[in-house]
Amino acid sequence: MDWLTICPEGATTPCVQPVQLAYLLAVVAVVALVAAIGRRSRDFTTATLSLIAVAIAINITIGSLTVALRLPLYLDSIGTVLVGALAGPWAGALTGLLTDLVWSVLPVPGGAGPTTALFAPVAAVIGLMAGFWADRGVFQLRSDDARIGGFLALALGIAAAAVAMLVVQNTVGLGFDPDDQGSQIRFVSLGIVIALVGVVTVGISRRTVFRLRGDDPRTRTYLITATALSAAALVFALIRLLLAPTDVGLFLAAIGAIVVAGLAVSWARRGDHARFFPVWVGGFTTGLVAALIAAPIVAGVFGGVTGGGTDALVALFRTLGLSVFGSAFAQGLTSDPLDKTISFTIVFVVLTALPITVRTMFSRGELTVAE
Amino acid sequence: MSERTQVVRVQGLTIRYPGRRAPALQDVSLTVAHGERLGIAGRTGAGKSTLALAVAGFIPRIVRAAVAGHVLLDGTDAIVAAPGVLLGRVGIVFSSPSNQLSGSRLTVRAELAFGLENLGIPSSEMDGRIDVVTERLGIGHLAEREPSSLSGGEQQRVAMASIVTMGPGILVLDEPAAELDPNGAAAVAALLDDLAAAGTTILHAEHDPVALGRYDRVVILEAGRIVPAMSSSPAVEPLAWTVGPGRAGASVTIEHVSHRYPNGIEALRDVSLRIGTGEAVAIVGANGSGKTTLVKQLNGLLRPTSGRVLLDDVSTDGTPVDRLAATVGFAFQDPGDQLFERSVEREVSFGPRQLGRVGPQASALVQAALAMTGLTGERELNPYDLDRSRRKLVALAGVLAMDPAVLVLDEPTTGQDRDGVERVGLIVRAMQTAGRTVIAITHDIAFASRWFDRVVVMDEGRLEDHRPPAA
Amino acid sequence: MTGIATDVATGYYVAGSSWLHRRHPLTKLLGVLFVVVAVFLLPPAVSLPLLAALLAGIAIAAGLARSLLRSLRIPSVLVLSIVVVNALFFPGGRDVLLGVGPLSITREGLTFGLVSASRLLVVFVASVLFLFTTLADDLLETLVARGVSHRIAFVVLTAVQLIPRMQHRATGILAAQQARGLSLGGSLGRRIRTLVPLVGPVLLASLVDVRERTLALEARGFGARPGRTAYRVVPDSGLDRALRMALVIAIVAVIVVAITGVVR
Repeated sequence: MDWLTICPEGATTPCVQPVQLAYLLAVVAVVALVAAIGRRSRDFTTATLSLIAVAIAINITIGSLTVALRLPLYLDSIGTVLVGALAGPWAGALTGLLTDLVWSVLPVPGGAGPTTALFAPVAAVIGLMAGFWADRGVFQLRSDDARIGGFLALALGIAAAAVAMLVVQNTVGLGFDPDDQGSQIRFVSLGIVIALVGVVTVGISRRTVFRLRGDDPRTRTYLITATALSAAALVFALIRLLLAPTDVGLFLAAIGAIVVAGLAVSWARRGDHARFFPVWVGGFTTGLVAALIAAPIVAGVFGGVTGGGTDALVALFRTLGLSVFGSAFAQGLTSDPLDKTISFTIVFVVLTALPITVRTMFSRGELTVAE
Repeated sequence: MSERTQVVRVQGLTIRYPGRRAPALQDVSLTVAHGERLGIAGRTGAGKSTLALAVAGFIPRIVRAAVAGHVLLDGTDAIVAAPGVLLGRVGIVFSSPSNQLSGSRLTVRAELAFGLENLGIPSSEMDGRIDVVTERLGIGHLAEREPSSLSGGEQQRVAMASIVTMGPGILVLDEPAAELDPNGAAAVAALLDDLAAAGTTILHAEHDPVALGRYDRVVILEAGRIVPAMSSSPAVEPLAWTVGPGRAGASVTIEHVSHRYPNGIEALRDVSLRIGTGEAVAIVGANGSGKTTLVKQLNGLLRPTSGRVLLDDVSTDGTPVDRLAATVGFAFQDPGDQLFERSVEREVSFGPRQLGRVGPQASALVQAALAMTGLTGERELNPYDLDRSRRKLVALAGVLAMDPAVLVLDEPTTGQDRDGVERVGLIVRAMQTAGRTVIAITHDIAFASRWFDRVVVMDEGRLEDHRPPAA
Repeated sequence: MTGIATDVATGYYVAGSSWLHRRHPLTKLLGVLFVVVAVFLLPPAVSLPLLAALLAGIAIAAGLARSLLRSLRIPSVLVLSIVVVNALFFPGGRDVLLGVGPLSITREGLTFGLVSASRLLVVFVASVLFLFTTLADDLLETLVARGVSHRIAFVVLTAVQLIPRMQHRATGILAAQQARGLSLGGSLGRRIRTLVPLVGPVLLASLVDVRERTLALEARGFGARPGRTAYRVVPDSGLDRALRMALVIAIVAVIVVAITGVVR
């Protein structure tokens, strides 16, 4: 099966087993996911099924509208997120799954054309995560709710992990050498250390700095500071990571961080915006996961290219030394988190305008009402 | 009447929706005999839909609500019946034709088979039953058509047929002609006559008692209770539009305008019309006569293929739609195309904000618009929590708040009850008194003659006639 | 409004009565699956030309050659991108064929790009031939007859028919909001902010419709009782059953061959 192997560098020469094993496991996981969705869907009410049908149409309509309006986004998961919020993760997963399957057989522009079906697992996971975050209440928290602190802590944790990854890469080096067993073990253990840094940060900040209460005057200050720090650190780490150890990369990362910090501060200072924060955390993390899952599909099937405008980005990443997989992931990273954050925001705004008669048709309708 | 012939018995029915303080129905009791035609009249919000849903067995199983009392259909209590028990015994028809089509079938025949499939009728029997119904309801010629390509009236007949095919002895209808033009409404009325003649028990809810004139009996609902007679509406004080003094209306000149759609259809043929500042003109005509195409030329939504449109003697050519919105306020027929805010007040203030009005000036416009449409008390509510007729008024208020020089109304009275139609008329009069030009498309001739100076008739893209309405 | 629904609701379907049209939907679906498996698991040098020739032959025999050629327009951008980006920017490519200024085309890159693109094209052709000759209704009805939940099939069919209506409504909303003074264009930030008044009505009106549609479906007994019967039955034949058996064997054979590495 030499010609089948797809290695991290993108060459088609024989390489280490783990990558092929990973692909096999992925196929098994997808089949399991589809089976689970199928089993859960037997209990869906008529209202949920009507909603899913409408949501699929929403996904495809708005997705093709975005292409027509030439926006640098996808916006093809708004229906999926909506269903996840109103009817739960599994209904959301079914929506995403069916959307991509249906889109590939319809002559409607957008998505990935006729090959959209291959991204069905990604869309399903987006639905699962939307339902997950909805169950955590992201769409219902008011600005003075203490639970927002939890999301701030989470964001700070992700940022801390990103910074840790950066530090590790610049000192010890994260290198993943497909031929060296030792380097693989080191990669995994370093990964665990980085994850631990993130978790510990979340834990500490949750218990100290972010025990916010609505009437606490320090709330706003913490919110502003935390938002600015998290956003800045995240952007800095991302850019630095993607552009590898070059001076240009460092410079760009610093500029990006400062700009984002400024934007974050000006945003956080405006009154009622705290309730958007959990929404954005939910959207951002969903986008990250989506990019992660989509990258191997894009790399393995399309040779890393999707035919969209973002291919220029892919080319750029390749010249900077990234592998086929790496550049596919990088391209996903630059568009998916933003796209999903905007989608979550739109759904959030719409849910606040949802009339009672519709909300009461769905089991999770009450979750979308701020108490 | 004897117990045996009582097919529907409602006893002490009280229903309250979650999140609402006042119950939708309070201690309602009534009986309907086999084969009887009962009309249920009442204003919007009186509880007609709730009663219809309860009789059809939808409450509380599908529509959640707190219920007390009983609804006995041939002895079975619809309130507690298990799903599937009432199927085929009672059917219900709603007012929106497109939402009642399953949306999954490519021919009318297959659509009519939808209910039969769910009933588990053997495939060999289906065609027979479908043929009987299409013959009886006169829609045989539509059998192979695609449901989404039919007109509203035809779709509603198909929707009724798809319920009748399931063979219910009791048929409940909730304002079935609300979204139809007069032809469609007449077809529905004829269908009901046929069904009644065949022995179906009919319960029909309408806000306009005139439509129920031919019925055996009419009960009247008001605020959830059965009352002997409809109370008279509170008198509406004469309305006045006093914000934006000094702003006048604009004249509208349509010069030899023709419009051809990309698919080749000539919707307008050499139409010329002059409407002076402060005039109120109604445009009537059959569906497809070009009325909507004509008024859409006025705010730039459509551009003439030849000829031109002038506002205050200045051509609209080259000015984009959003700029013309400062002069021409367009109230669309379907408010669903515009509503997206979480409160009536925010919705109404959207237009003024887009036009750049801010602060107290904008606030005054919004309050005036709310007062004109009688929505001041509802301004904190979600527009979609109001019924369809009030939603239309919300959209109209949104247009009024833009303080237009020319007000264009597309079918402002469809879906309104008597009070609503009266209010729209008063708004037209008030805007005209304030010096604005008002143009309306309507198929309600009575409304046109009463409130407008001139009535213009359109037929097949041409202006047929314009003269003052007969006195 | 006539015609809008038919265009999208019937998808790529081209009316006809060729041999391929008359085949059972599941037979054709298995055929597409076989092509996908063969394209990705067998050595490209052998499988791609053979499959391409086979599919071309089927297309010509079914009278769909011209429709097929016209449909190749759809993946053309994607295919071009794959070839170009990989030829020019392939990591690890050393054998330079052509230098164009600072960029250079490498043999490894060109090979990889051409192989990827060809695989995609073959899969596309197989799918499109399937779509040309199969109605969604028929396909779903056969799946339901074999155990797929009829409620899921309903969701798919409804969604497909809703799309053109929603697109039509979206244009209506665009017009209606512009008539309230909403201006499109401008900076990216402004364009993103105009999304809510454009997307909002689509979502809200659709959700309100969901309530009415649910009630209408319940009135027609949707999902109320088990034992749903079917109005339309898609005809099957002995030939189809034989073909399906052969295709299943072929798919399994390809997988086995690929895993055991018998053919290199």
